[in-house]
Amino acid sequence: MAKSEDGIHILQGLLVFGNVVIGMCGIALTAECIFFVSDPHGLYPLLEATENDDIYAAAWIGIFVGFALFALSILGIIGVIKSNRTLLLMYIILMLITYAFEMASCITAATHRDFLTPNLFLKQMLERYQKSETDNNNDSWMTKRVTETWDKLMLQNQCCGVQGPSDWQEYTSAFRDTHNDADFPWPHNCCVLDARGSPVNLDGCKLGVQGYYNSNGCYDVISGPMNTHAWGVAWFGFAILCWTFCVLLGTMFYWSRIEY
Amino acid sequence: LPDQGLKPQIAAPQLATNNPTLTTVALEKPFCMFDSSLHPNKSYVVYLYVMKESANAISSLVTDNNGKPLNSTFQQTSGGQTGPYKAALFNVPNCASPPKLADVGDVNRASDVLKQYLFRVGDDGTCLYDPNFLAVCNPPLSPDTTYRFKYVLVDSTEGIMKEQTLWSDPIKTRRVKLPLKIDTWPGQRSGGMIVITSVLSVLVFLLLAGFLASVSSVVMRPEDSSAVTKHTSQTIQQSELTPQLISE
Repeated sequence: MAKSEDGIHILQGLLVFGNVVIGMCGIALTAECIFFVSDPHGLYPLLEATENDDIYAAAWIGIFVGFALFALSILGIIGVIKSNRTLLLMYIILMLITYAFEMASCITAATHRDFLTPNLFLKQMLERYQKSETDNNNDSWMTKRVTETWDKLMLQNQCCGVQGPSDWQEYTSAFRDTHNDADFPWPHNCCVLDARGSPVNLDGCKLGVQGYYNSNGCYDVISGPMNTHAWGVAWFGFAILCWTFCVLLGTMFYWSRIEY
Repeated sequence: LPDQGLKPQIAAPQLATNNPTLTTVALEKPFCMFDSSLHPNKSYVVYLYVMKESANAISSLVTDNNGKPLNSTFQQTSGGQTGPYKAALFNVPNCASPPKLADVGDVNRASDVLKQYLFRVGDDGTCLYDPNFLAVCNPPLSPDTTYRFKYVLVDSTEGIMKEQTLWSDPIKTRRVKLPLKIDTWPGQRSGGMIVITSVLSVLVFLLLAGFLASVSSVVMRPEDSSAVTKHTSQTIQQSELTPQLISE
């Protein structure tokens, strides 16, 4: 009897420890996802316009799942210490539901990260940047936001285009429709600007003279934060789920051995 | 008038990286190309003629019968289609002291260096539509078209051609692609995504199996098996009491 009691106590201790870790990870997940949803780099308009913003959906789910994990871990601790069958059954069922949601969030974040290729942003930039004739309110709203985001990106990061300024020369675009190639081989934000926001040497910029235009592309600046976002949600969620799997299995075993 | 085998050259690619563009071509000015014909007491100008390569079949003459350079414009030749048109007129570049290309890095001198070193054909997008424009119009070229260029040295007092270079090598303006044609298909799935999806699916399956196993073991278990009880201490107390009662 004493041996199995010790074993039971050890199992209880492990389950309580497991639930404490789940609770803390839940809070961390909520905090991380709130950070991503707040979009510190201002890249959300680009995703919204490509209609590919599911990594944000994954982050939203993560916020609520994290909080649910925290609440359920408290329930689990109480249930394990009191060896209460009803509490533990509720805990298991609610945890399974939360598990399913978190699994959806991880898979969504990981899958939709794969869609964010340079070509996707290139096509969107060419079709929307400074588009003058918009079809409806939604279109004009998205165009305005995409234009503002690109202008800000090019100014703050001294970059031009997705892979480089040659994007503007290789493809026709909405920008090209309203700005002729002789005066604007690329937008003036691609030029090195002085303190007042006008190009230091416009001819140098138009000819592509080194030092008067930004020759690197903006893709790294866009994909960096998005990768962090997607992989942060996906892999941290995955780690939490692996841990929760073990704790849940232990709890199911413990529950099945309780006698009223 | 000896032709020296010299041709207009495109501007140095390490300087002007965006060249030729859709509608412009930047050419090096004719440094030291006409020096053998320059008389010290006379004043000269250089004319630049542009024509589409296809116009060669029709006419590639830049002077009339009297040796005077043609005054053809962009509109008259349909953009260089029926013959050469005059696109520019500038002073003879200084052979003795050409601009140093390295100076272009200096912000204050960059404009001067560029202006002295090269000329951008197609630079003026508005002169075609400006009725008051009286100078030589240099409108944008057509995309995806081959052009050829020629410099002509003209005596400004007599107005006759002194010397001309050969027609340049054919230079083609850029061609554009449609953004519709850009393929946004992501291609292969990343390894991370496959790992996450497959491992999580397996884990969920195992969890559900474990849940069913524990529920069925609870439902079908006989009443008196030894297990964790809520009243473990009470059971021990009871079993300790019973021997006492028996002994009493």
